[in-house]
Amino acid sequence: MDSRLKRVLLATALCGLAAVSARGDDEPESWQVIDPEVKPREIEPVAMDTEDFEVGPFLGILAIQDFDADFLYGLRAAWHFSEDFFFEASYGASQGDLTSYEKLSGGAPLFEDSERDYTFYGINFGWNALPGEAFILDSRALKSDFFLIVGAGNTDFLDDNFFTVTVGAGYRLLINDWITWRLDVRDHIFDRDAFGENDTTNNFELSTGVTFFF
Amino acid sequence: MAGVNKRGYASLCAALLVACLGALSARALAEDEAVLQSTVAQPYIDMRTQPGRGYPVFHVAERGDKLDLLFQRTDWIKVRTAKGIEGWVHVNDIGRTLDARGDPLAFKSPDFDSYTSRTWEFGFMVGDYDSTDTLVAYLGWHFTPNLSLELAASENYGDFSDGKMATASIVHQMFPQWRYSPFLTIGGGVRQTNPRSTLVATEDRTDNTANVGAGLRVYLTKRLLLRLQYKYYVVMTDRDDDEEVNEWTVGLSAFF
Repeated sequence: MDSRLKRVLLATALCGLAAVSARGDDEPESWQVIDPEVKPREIEPVAMDTEDFEVGPFLGILAIQDFDADFLYGLRAAWHFSEDFFFEASYGASQGDLTSYEKLSGGAPLFEDSERDYTFYGINFGWNALPGEAFILDSRALKSDFFLIVGAGNTDFLDDNFFTVTVGAGYRLLINDWITWRLDVRDHIFDRDAFGENDTTNNFELSTGVTFFF
Repeated sequence: MAGVNKRGYASLCAALLVACLGALSARALAEDEAVLQSTVAQPYIDMRTQPGRGYPVFHVAERGDKLDLLFQRTDWIKVRTAKGIEGWVHVNDIGRTLDARGDPLAFKSPDFDSYTSRTWEFGFMVGDYDSTDTLVAYLGWHFTPNLSLELAASENYGDFSDGKMATASIVHQMFPQWRYSPFLTIGGGVRQTNPRSTLVATEDRTDNTANVGAGLRVYLTKRLLLRLQYKYYVVMTDRDDDEEVNEWTVGLSAFF
């Protein structure tokens, strides 16, 4: 009886030990089950409001060679891809008045009114050559840029199209973070054969406008 | 102002209105959005009065300071400190500040690495098409590091005729990781030729074109690259002979 009780107790103890030791054997395996690979943390692109585009109208005067200086209006849009450089697209329209010859001779006009419409568009490359600050009153400092542009485009004048090179300079003053006032001087250069021989003409633009950054 | 044509004026006004409304609504939208915040992790960062490397540093934000990131212009981000001081910080400095989870914001100024992994590229070129002045604008989409699809519009201005072309091309660059990277291109398109009204009384004509070419891209700085290109065009005319034309162009491009 005594030995039977001992046997039962021993068997129970053995089972317990076996269970414990079995668990002990499992432990290293259960550690290995954990996947050691750590997924690289993905960097989410953060949405930042970028305001590199500038668009706005302009008004001015265009002095067309051999014709009069006349009213000019148009639209410009620019993409500032660094603090130094920008691309700019511009469109403008004006009209050539009577040539000096037509005025002096008093004869029949050489061109019809519809032929005198002058429109141009072009792409310019700009360089903010002299960035600066302008000081208004004692406490206000406004950002300003003196910039140079060079570009090429098309001029539609006298019922013809001309390859046009544009060079110029301008001044842009930021009234606040997104409204600017600007002043531009440009020379639109193209070869024109309207008077029989091919002449290189210089057509000077003086314009001012307001633009908006967005 | 007497003779400015009415149609042009109306279309310009419409374009203007759309552009200004677009700009205003973009701004309104921007102001509604929650402002991004970051925490300065480096010992200090410089705040400048205006977005440009030459402008004076008027304030420094210290480690642990919280910054509201208002908006970005070129490489500069306008920030506001907890005390309400506003200034401009370079994007690379902001890149080392921490977001709400404590991770670096990882903003950076565009560089050669961004150039080699670019998706879009556009640019403008001028040059010579069959001994006439030509003007080209193009947009390219890089769908692998080596291959891109390009759409180009061009105009040329001759003594006897003007022309307009639209072209689609596949461009292959062999060594996308090179700063001076050559490429080959093949494509097709259409060409419209308009004889000069003052000289010849023939009608406008539209022809199909095919072209092959080669060129070189040179990475300059930031987002800017220089592009030199030669293309050989065959213009398939209705006449007995097709026109064969050489085009040489050079231009500036930007990528994003």
